[in-house]
Amino acid sequence: MSCVRGLRCKECGRDYPIAAVYVCEFCFGPLEVQYNYEQAAQSMTRDAIAARPRNLWRYRELLPLDGEPTDGLQSGFTPFIRAHNLARELGVRDLYIKNDGVNFPTLSYKDRVVPVAIAKAKELGFDTVGCASTGNLANAVAAHGARAGLRRYIFIPTGLEAGKVMGTLVYQPTLVAVEGNYDDVNRLCSEITNKYHWAFVNVNMRPYYTEGAKTYGFEVGEQLGWRAPDNLVCPVAGGTILPKIWKSFHELERLGLIPSVRTRMFAAQAATCAPVVTAVHRGSDIIPPMKPAPLAESVDTSLRIGNPADGPYVVQAVRQSDGWAEMATNEEIIAAMQLLARTEGIWTETAGGTTLAVAKKLIEQGRIRRDETTVICITGNGLKTLEAVRERLGKPIPIAATLAAFEERVLGA
Amino acid sequence: MPTRKVLLKYPEHLIKEPVLFQMAKQFDVMPNIRRARVTETVGEIVAELEGAADNLAAGIRYLEERGVQVQPLEGDVVE
Repeated sequence: MSCVRGLRCKECGRDYPIAAVYVCEFCFGPLEVQYNYEQAAQSMTRDAIAARPRNLWRYRELLPLDGEPTDGLQSGFTPFIRAHNLARELGVRDLYIKNDGVNFPTLSYKDRVVPVAIAKAKELGFDTVGCASTGNLANAVAAHGARAGLRRYIFIPTGLEAGKVMGTLVYQPTLVAVEGNYDDVNRLCSEITNKYHWAFVNVNMRPYYTEGAKTYGFEVGEQLGWRAPDNLVCPVAGGTILPKIWKSFHELERLGLIPSVRTRMFAAQAATCAPVVTAVHRGSDIIPPMKPAPLAESVDTSLRIGNPADGPYVVQAVRQSDGWAEMATNEEIIAAMQLLARTEGIWTETAGGTTLAVAKKLIEQGRIRRDETTVICITGNGLKTLEAVRERLGKPIPIAATLAAFEERVLGA
Repeated sequence: MPTRKVLLKYPEHLIKEPVLFQMAKQFDVMPNIRRARVTETVGEIVAELEGAADNLAAGIRYLEERGVQVQPLEGDVVE
């Protein structure tokens, strides 16, 4: 039973049937999936959801699939923890971590968007999927595409660290290293999408791919006891997830599953590449032209997107929700990663460090009130960004294999 | 004739200049503007450019040399 009505242009409102299209033929605005909410409300009740498997398809009425899902059945419904120790450290009362760093199988929030894109690609008759990525997206397309039995073409810029390449190569896709810079890879992928009948998950599958990000927000609403938080802090790269969490809260409200949404949405970026933060600070709807700082100068390489596809919609959600945006320096990012690990036992990737560093800043600024409920979005795993913390974590204490050495060197006896 | 869907971003000092017209005339490229807006500090045009492949490439290079940022409509797809 599908509740999908079709696609609608986010800029001019023109309607389109479901297909592998991603921009409006008239104004070139992005397309978004529309649903029949009255129909969805009939079967999507709290009790019905509670009885369903704990995966991202738990909220299937508001996901863009016609048939039964067969992909990503182990993805989603990630841990949502009350962060008592971190809350004490930051001087706030009610703090939660939503941890997609342990999403299955590739340890990031991309394990939500990619299965939805791949499932839809199969429904639309594609046998080949693709993406351009430097990390998490490549891992997820390679893994989910393998399980779905699809051909996979993944494009990366030359010169990526070995660790990032291995995390994709192990799933044995066709991995293509494109000579040139990020702009060259972007341009080539656009040309390939236009020429070949392939499903590029974040290009011609983008309307469906981005819908998968709503499941992060649906889960926050459910795991918080069917309510939306007062504040939510979210990292911004391409700008997919923040507007979709905002949308998900409003969809839950529309279906009567949660009370009125009063959430303030806060965007987090690294200071080395912060086009969305700059737009919010300037009060502008237009994301200013920005070239990311060179790789060597950026700790947070995962958020290093100078021209975010959904940047304007991040600004819109931040503004509509009376939120704000802030950026974090390399030092603040690393310190926040260590803080989260030390207080809550969670090792996040650098994007999570950026998010926590920004949350800390917003609390200090008084934009996040200390007596309110705040959710911090952790979207990836620290094991993927080892190089960021190398040489910064100290060293083990070397001792001889004797009790005396242990007591002298370690216990200081 | 080849086409390119592009997002053009103008810095403040170029907003009042007819840069797109000058490019179109000089390189025989036909711009078809679908959306545009201007704020205090930046201008934005969403357009389709049509022309011979060499002319398109030269025209886009001209825009960039003048200080206009030319981006594919899809945004950065490398995530």
